[in-house]
Amino acid sequence: MPEYDAIARINELLDSTDPETLNTSMRIPKALRDAAAIAVSELGVAPSTTILTANALRSMLEGAVVLAALERHFEEYPELRPTLADLAVAAAEMDGHPLAGQPELLRRSAGQVQRRHPDATPEDVLLWAEAVQSCAESAA
Amino acid sequence: MNRLVLLDNEAVQSLRDPAHRKHLQVISQILTANTRKVQGRSVQTAVPGAVRVEAGWDRTAATWAFANQLRIADIPLDREQADSAASIRKRTQVSVADAHLGAAIQAATGNVTVITSDPRDIHRVAEGRRVDIVAI
Repeated sequence: MPEYDAIARINELLDSTDPETLNTSMRIPKALRDAAAIAVSELGVAPSTTILTANALRSMLEGAVVLAALERHFEEYPELRPTLADLAVAAAEMDGHPLAGQPELLRRSAGQVQRRHPDATPEDVLLWAEAVQSCAESAA
Repeated sequence: MNRLVLLDNEAVQSLRDPAHRKHLQVISQILTANTRKVQGRSVQTAVPGAVRVEAGWDRTAATWAFANQLRIADIPLDREQADSAASIRKRTQVSVADAHLGAAIQAATGNVTVITSDPRDIHRVAEGRRVDIVAI
């Protein structure tokens, strides 16, 4: 199945309101199943282990299918692929992080982090930028 | 703690056109939200129905095919949301779309982020409710 069709089909299935359920023969680690059962009975994280499992699977699929669609978009428009700096700014803005108002510091930090750690994440950049700012404040 | 990410009119419109000057910024937010979702964090992106109308987002139109793939949920203008939006609009004199954004903000149970070209109106319709603003 071509990727575009797969994305469309997954979205269609995720949007389905069909109430039909089925038993699966999916094998999961026993310890994981037992941990889920305790989380449901003792911590109340979900009404049942079935709902807990289904919700986790749904959330993962919803995120993954969007990431796949975005990846196709970036293949078509490579100039629109966000840089690490763009994503660090986005992460700060989304959370109302104190450094969200300092995009230049975040962009500088992204460059510095990426030179040392090519696989750095936006969260790594935020941590680096906080450290840079903290050092600057201490020195002042 | 879960987070609801809401889009305003211009944020929605930027998704239709890759050449839109805000497209990259909004896409960065969508990418961030869904990366977190895959990592197990609870993040939902959504658009209030009145905002979708104002932005002209017709999910059946081919021009919106890309936006349709981003799993941005609709927040319907049901009875409760309509009552809340009407009340907000009366108090703040904002547009119908912004009033519905306000109703969605005020009904949210967790953290809220709004991607908007008009932060001042968003603060007005939030009416004191904490909201993180992504200004585009």
